[in-house]
Amino acid sequence: MADNTISTSNAGASSTPSGTPGPSVPKAIGSLAKKPSDVTRQGSQKLKFVPTLPSRRKKEEVKQEAPPPTIPNASTDRGRGRGRGRGRGGEGRGAAPRPVPVEMTASGPFAMGPALAGTSARRSAPRSNFTPIVPLGPGNATALGAGLSGAAAPLLKREKETVAPLIDEDDYSDPDEGVEIIDMENVRQMDWMAPESLRKERKEKKKKIQVKIEDPSSPSSIKKKEDEMNIEEVDLANALDLSESEEEEELEDLIDDFAVQGEADQDADIRKERLYFFQFPEPFPTFVPNVPLTSPTAMSVDEPPPGSHPRKVSFAADVKPPGPSGDPAGASTGPEAEQTKELPKVDGVIGQLEVYRSGAVKMRLSNGILMDVTGATQPSFLQQAVHLDLQNKRLHIMGEVNKRFVVSPEIDTLLHAMELRDQAEANAMPIDDTNLIKMG
Amino acid sequence: MDDDELISVLPIHYSNSLSPNLHIHQFPLLSRPLQTPPAAAVSGKRIRARIKPITRRLEIHVPVDPRPEVWNGERSKSLGAARQEDDREKNQDVGKMKQMEGEEPRLIEVRMRSELIPQEGAYMLGVVRNGQLHLQPINETHQFRPTLTYLDVMSRKSRRSRGDAGSDEDSDEGPPPDPDEPPPVQTAAKKEKKPLEVKEVQVSARKVADDKGNLQGGLSAVRREMLLAIRAEEEEDWQDLDFCDGETVEGQEAFEAVFSQNEEHLECKSDITAFLKGIKGL
Repeated sequence: MADNTISTSNAGASSTPSGTPGPSVPKAIGSLAKKPSDVTRQGSQKLKFVPTLPSRRKKEEVKQEAPPPTIPNASTDRGRGRGRGRGRGGEGRGAAPRPVPVEMTASGPFAMGPALAGTSARRSAPRSNFTPIVPLGPGNATALGAGLSGAAAPLLKREKETVAPLIDEDDYSDPDEGVEIIDMENVRQMDWMAPESLRKERKEKKKKIQVKIEDPSSPSSIKKKEDEMNIEEVDLANALDLSESEEEEELEDLIDDFAVQGEADQDADIRKERLYFFQFPEPFPTFVPNVPLTSPTAMSVDEPPPGSHPRKVSFAADVKPPGPSGDPAGASTGPEAEQTKELPKVDGVIGQLEVYRSGAVKMRLSNGILMDVTGATQPSFLQQAVHLDLQNKRLHIMGEVNKRFVVSPEIDTLLHAMELRDQAEANAMPIDDTNLIKMG
Repeated sequence: MDDDELISVLPIHYSNSLSPNLHIHQFPLLSRPLQTPPAAAVSGKRIRARIKPITRRLEIHVPVDPRPEVWNGERSKSLGAARQEDDREKNQDVGKMKQMEGEEPRLIEVRMRSELIPQEGAYMLGVVRNGQLHLQPINETHQFRPTLTYLDVMSRKSRRSRGDAGSDEDSDEGPPPDPDEPPPVQTAAKKEKKPLEVKEVQVSARKVADDKGNLQGGLSAVRREMLLAIRAEEEEDWQDLDFCDGETVEGQEAFEAVFSQNEEHLECKSDITAFLKGIKGL
């Protein structure tokens, strides 16, 4: 049965691989693995795309006895994939024109041990926020060792990773006669320019497979189980995982992001700090230094150019309890030197960020403003924070934005404040106006 | 929520020392960090940037990986020629062509052009350091996408070479007709094709023809504005910028500026109700 598969795919191959590893087990050759879904009830071969790489590779294998400085077999299209990998690998090994030594170090989530996974600040402390030139992809799920062959392009930082287990590799038996198995998920690693491979939710499936295999029941029952499994495989692979667990993980991540304390920063390499993006509602509250300056009127310091002017509601101190920022820092510093350019510069403490055990994160700003912080949709593309220095004609990349957050006013506080304000307004207004209707 | 235990508290610092020059750059079609491919870095190519300060448009030029396994040299020559022509037309020539082959210009870089995106709400950049959260307002958001305007040049060339006979089919495939260009044969063809249609259709067709045909009078105000804006932008010159990656000294200085220096507590002039009142239309 296995021969069937191989022969259909090896049209024109010089020789069929003799030592085709064993029996029904779909472990043999990764891409050629014959899953039960491949075979129709009659046992004949379902039409299935099977890459012909192994056969080509066999030819190349023979040729590559001599170390290949250049890419062999540029002629065969299909061999190009392999040739590319080999060519790059050859270059990498030769290390001739490459001045970047970092490339040779194994990198990827498992290479440096637990420190590298990078999900939480605790674990990723030593890593700089800038990926060095060659792949130090910090733990993207597809980075199963990205860069191990010194080939893949670096990946973006992700806060939450589902680290696909490396067990994938184990399932496939040793390559037969030097045939290199390329799991489609690992295509990424072949080369700098290799495309992204899609991630699959494999975790649950893996566990099931292992359980089933360990269970030495009769062949028929195994087959049945595999069938069921395959149905589930399909579901898991394609379905979006909207389970509860994801939310919890997210909240945990928030905690991790902000609860970075007492971490004795080893090297004072600045770039390890992660950049976060916060989206506040408009208008961002205006802050002024405590000591009144010459122009104490609040300036529209914070809003983006098209934003509205700030609303100065000088209301709060009387009605609401003063901002409970219990920070001990004294505020009696002298007036800040105000650089009157287009925007006066503001600098100081405006509140505190509170992290709760449940994962809720709140921002308590002065003047009784309480805001909820939640994770926003994380984009899959690159985002950089950049400083544009027109005077020096420079564009500084400050780093990649790791995570986005949305800040919204806490509803209870907001409603309470509205209520109070309405009451105050009502009290201030003359009650004898018959047109007014007093409500509630 | 009352028994929700407080785990940690971080004071929030706010500073706008970098305003109005702090941007977020997004690369929607890119999922890897922006870096020179090692193969190109070897030959000394770096990422470059330039800006049109008035129009607020940025371009980032990323060198391409020229290895033969992943790059078609032949095609790069033809595309390079098209790009050079396109550059000349639109005044976006990259002045310094150090690698002046003289014979054939090649495509050696991907040009990513920025779009200024309107911001919803106030964006802040936050960095946590020493148990403190430092916020800086973000002034502009740009999205970068590769520009492939040189393909227009190529299609025009091929269209011309194919002659007017093929222009009908070309116009179906190609981009919508540019109002700048003289109206192609289409409109006449359209009219002829639909002689029996209801009157309304004919009337509208004529209107469209007028718009495209008459550059001066017939254009609607909006369209004219757009054209003017485009022209103004094209005429503005590019200013080159040094693209400093994170590791440079200047970059470090800029990064340090994110952090607020002052420990002073700021007084807040606005109230939480301002958020509700700030919603437009409510």
